[in-house]
Amino acid sequence: MSKVTVTFIVNGKEVTLKVGPKERLIDTLREQLKLTGTKEGCGIGECGACTVILDGKAVSSCLILTGQIGGSEVLTIEGLEVDGKLDSLQKAFIDCHAIQCGFCTPGMLMSAKALLIHNPHPNREEIKTALEGNLCRCTGYEQIIEAIESVAK
Amino acid sequence: MVYSKVNKPIIRVDAYEKVIGKAKFAADLYFPNMLYGKVLRSKYPYARIVKIDIEKALTCPGVEAVITADDIPNNEFGVIVQNQQVLARQQVLYIGDGIAVVAAETKEAAAKALGLIKVEYEELPGIFDPEEAAKKGAPLVHSELENNQVVHHRLRKGDTERGFAQAEVILEREYTTQFVEHAYIEPESLVAVPYEHNTLVTIYGSIQNPFSCRNAVASVLKVPLNKVRIIQNHMGGSFGGKDEVMSSMAARAALLALKTNRPVKMVNTRDESILESYKRHPYKMKYKVGATKEGKLAAMEIKCLADSGAYACQTPFVTWRSVVQATGPYELPNVKTDTYGYYTNNVYTGAMRGYGSPQIIFAQESLMDELAEELKMTPMELRLKNIYHNNSITASGQKLDNHQVSLEEVINKAVEASNYKDKYREYSKPQSGDKKRGIGMAISFRGCSLGAEATDAAGAIVAIQRDGSILISCGLAENGEGLKTVFTQIAAEELGVDIRRINYMEVDTSVSPESGATVASRSTILGGNAVKNAAHQLKETLAEIVAAEFKIKTNNLDFKNENIYEKNKNQKIISFDEAITLANQQGIFLSVYGWYKAPDISWDEENGQGRPYFTYVYGCQIAEVEVDTATGQIEVLKMTAAHDVGRAINPACLKGQIYGGVMMGLGYGIMEEVETANGYIKNTNFDEYLIPTVKDMPEIIPVIVENPDPHGPYGAKSIGEPTLELGAPAIANAVAQATGKRIRHLPLNLERVLLGHSLSKGGTKK
Amino acid sequence: MISYEFLTTQKIEEALNYLDKFSKVHILAGGTDLLVNLYKESPRLPDFDYLLDISNIPELKIINSINKFIEIGPLVTHSRLINEPLIKNNFPVLMEAAYTIGSTQIRNRGTIGGNIVNASPAADLLPPLIALRAEVELTSRKGKRVLPLEEFLAGPYKTKLQANELLTKIKIPLLSDNYYTDFQKIGRRKALSIARLSLALVTKIDEEGIFQDTRVVPGSATPYPQSLPVTEEAINGISIFQINLEEIGKITSNEMVSITGERWSTPYKKPTIAVLIKRALERIIKEAKTNE
Repeated sequence: MSKVTVTFIVNGKEVTLKVGPKERLIDTLREQLKLTGTKEGCGIGECGACTVILDGKAVSSCLILTGQIGGSEVLTIEGLEVDGKLDSLQKAFIDCHAIQCGFCTPGMLMSAKALLIHNPHPNREEIKTALEGNLCRCTGYEQIIEAIESVAK
Repeated sequence: MVYSKVNKPIIRVDAYEKVIGKAKFAADLYFPNMLYGKVLRSKYPYARIVKIDIEKALTCPGVEAVITADDIPNNEFGVIVQNQQVLARQQVLYIGDGIAVVAAETKEAAAKALGLIKVEYEELPGIFDPEEAAKKGAPLVHSELENNQVVHHRLRKGDTERGFAQAEVILEREYTTQFVEHAYIEPESLVAVPYEHNTLVTIYGSIQNPFSCRNAVASVLKVPLNKVRIIQNHMGGSFGGKDEVMSSMAARAALLALKTNRPVKMVNTRDESILESYKRHPYKMKYKVGATKEGKLAAMEIKCLADSGAYACQTPFVTWRSVVQATGPYELPNVKTDTYGYYTNNVYTGAMRGYGSPQIIFAQESLMDELAEELKMTPMELRLKNIYHNNSITASGQKLDNHQVSLEEVINKAVEASNYKDKYREYSKPQSGDKKRGIGMAISFRGCSLGAEATDAAGAIVAIQRDGSILISCGLAENGEGLKTVFTQIAAEELGVDIRRINYMEVDTSVSPESGATVASRSTILGGNAVKNAAHQLKETLAEIVAAEFKIKTNNLDFKNENIYEKNKNQKIISFDEAITLANQQGIFLSVYGWYKAPDISWDEENGQGRPYFTYVYGCQIAEVEVDTATGQIEVLKMTAAHDVGRAINPACLKGQIYGGVMMGLGYGIMEEVETANGYIKNTNFDEYLIPTVKDMPEIIPVIVENPDPHGPYGAKSIGEPTLELGAPAIANAVAQATGKRIRHLPLNLERVLLGHSLSKGGTKK
Repeated sequence: MISYEFLTTQKIEEALNYLDKFSKVHILAGGTDLLVNLYKESPRLPDFDYLLDISNIPELKIINSINKFIEIGPLVTHSRLINEPLIKNNFPVLMEAAYTIGSTQIRNRGTIGGNIVNASPAADLLPPLIALRAEVELTSRKGKRVLPLEEFLAGPYKTKLQANELLTKIKIPLLSDNYYTDFQKIGRRKALSIARLSLALVTKIDEEGIFQDTRVVPGSATPYPQSLPVTEEAINGISIFQINLEEIGKITSNEMVSITGERWSTPYKKPTIAVLIKRALERIIKEAKTNE
């Protein structure tokens, strides 16, 4: 099993890494780059905790091999806050109590961010569709939706 | 009373680190020289272990240690009964039992080594049905015991025979519930570090109850408690679930760390988590109820059988809460209740949000609707005729005389907010088309905190630092619900200071006062009181200093807005910071322990009589559903949840509890089930174990009712569990109204709704 | 443990060369099925030594309208199927089915080609694609061949794709104006849900209101998605004003059971498939009547 070299952009910075043939994007982020904000909850794309934005779209980083993403741009939760300024979604999650245990939160934020990139004023149903791949066991989702609505207005 | 910090939706104190991705969960920790641990689990639900050969695994490159039960000083642990194996010694008792653990340089090497361990089994015929396990002469799950019974709780009040003789209507019904997975999104994870800071082993982990974990690890290692240190990390959900399964993981990791003298990290995959971790108990419940034609309840007889799985775990206490609350909040002169737990070779069962209440409330609230129908009354009418009021006597003989019994109020508020009466009338009329609507209610009373399960006390340290910043440490642990925020608000309220002054520390068993576990919806009422007590002591100390300095009476001082005022003149005397400086100059110690011991309770195990809990909370949830009667699909349209919480310390966090609890109750009601077949678990990941998504959300209307409790901090009681226990029966009652068909088994999945029974694929293994 | 060499390319030609040169090559596109199977070490995975990533081949991502066909590159994601006007306007049934797949994250990566080649009995796109008479273009170094999709499927999780071939196009003939389509799906929850049962219906209703050229393809009902000719024949030639939906429902139920046999799930699926065909027809009839 030989490693392959991949160059891609993470949170605005170009990285060139050697990755194993089975190395998933989530493994690279967490183990190689120590970007541990991206969480693993199921390994099969069913919980959304590992959601990152790849070339502008929300994806499950557990369902992508890092070898596949040469030349791509990845945004993780760590890249949401710019120059010490919180993204308006992060601020809204705080203000609207959209957080309990916080484990699904990075994935939720990335799904919400991807939605707003393409659709700055989504309605409630569109917000739900954007979040349907992100499981949360604590919040019952309501305050998460309210947070996104407060930004999308 | 007007508060400045409590009773306000103040933002969570742990929110910032959680939205920027820097909150450290245990899987996010990396220590130098760290190894990865992995568990080899059983191949069969019940088997004798003939031989374990670890030689090959030991020679696998990267492997540093392999441990089996033979390497463990004390292999059995447990909070109530010490019979849970850290690693299976002679027999595996369920499919999730561990047999060996490996520590290796990489996860891959550890996984590879597991494949090289050879285990010779002799498969044994297991017992997978608690009714079978209860039979005389049934094969024993634990061969050292006389029978398979874990526990039997009795409750006897009045004379049920006479009660039934007087009853004009008698109903007998059977209800069942399913195995349910906690489904915290963060799988179990921890790191054990050997010989750190004068302890034998320090464990950083996603641990719900750091003190019970410490007890287990110390007892397994046979070392004193002060040699083991547990530090809680941010925890990605627990819901009762990260207790014994974490103790077991901690013990295994500790053993490996000590053997290799290197930190060992263990993280379960989702499949490993669902295979090994304990579940909510499935119950089989037989209810018999008698009533007069006017709808007055005369007698109730209840028999509940809980499947404890392979270990006792929390079964003795889970079934105890069931025995206390089995009748529901209804006045009954004659009650006979028996709850039992039995060992089987199924996955073991333990604490999960609700703790013995969701099962019996599903039964008793379904039964109330069935009885109402029999009596040609509305479900609401029947309930109102029988519910508890102030000074009612419960089935346990407890007079509810020390707090406001607000059932009628919560029912009325939920009814109003949901427009229940109109909708009930409307949906009672014939409906055309496949899609039919219904509305249903469920109510409950719930004992706060541990009750007669165990000693009930909590402690907290509040320490004012030299610069006036404040540290709080309590033995109760943030589970994600907002405990840190609530305790911070209480301390800030008491001291009249800003929230930002306060830093709430993670639980560290070597520092934090042991406070029992963060369970039983007890943290706000117990820990809140302890924090309040500590802050109050500090306030008194500061008041004395200030009073002496300014020659004012101590009771004439008011701590608010970061200052100390003279009460009647409403005049600022000194700022909080200046008061701290003054205390520092005088060499006054500004760290205190606060302590709160719950009021006395009593319990007579023989007859189930006494004062099992010192106070109760009351709730009512109303579900409105649309059932596709042609396909069996249920759409929950709206859930109204009215809960008396005593006092909402943080209304926004409280709503979060309601929304989350309602959704978990919805999952319990219509989709969730850990499917087992002869002890094998069929759905071990989130593609097959389904929990509600955002698209499954109904409109949720939270109704907060506040009747301050004399024992609660600022009157606060409980909210975590009550929110979860009512959804399934409310939905079941709504579905029954919509379809005219009663489903007495959870969950109300497609097949049950369409056909009246579930279908099973059969087969045993995946 | 599964072990392989990772290959990646941005050119069809190079991909075909790899397929030709190496044996035991498994193709990776969106990865939403394959990575799950890798993670689970699924017994369904064939033995392979090379994993060939084709997800970055631009030519395989094109959607085009050519000679009364819409041609869809196999790497077109489910999200694109939902948003692409060519699909939305011509094959709403495909868009509706794509919308029910997994979640936003899955739809952003999962591809139409992957859904076809994986050939799951529950694949959401297969019923509408078969009903639309889609064809697949398979390319190898030796040339191209085109097969009707229904013929391409060879069994549960099996297709007629040769080891040296790559799925390079999905071609769907355009429908004339008087065609109507519908997609129905039942899941255990409202998102992230595998079809418990689904059904795609494509049919023509002529000027007299007579059904013609009806295609009925259920999902999760038969060992692998296939059309129901008996049901189709029963519907063809009948007027939308006279059709007996109960009768058609029964025929569909019986046809499903005749193909699949009695299984553990039959007691549920047998009555429910009848409901799905009835609902699909009802919706179409209503639409046809408003169009009159």
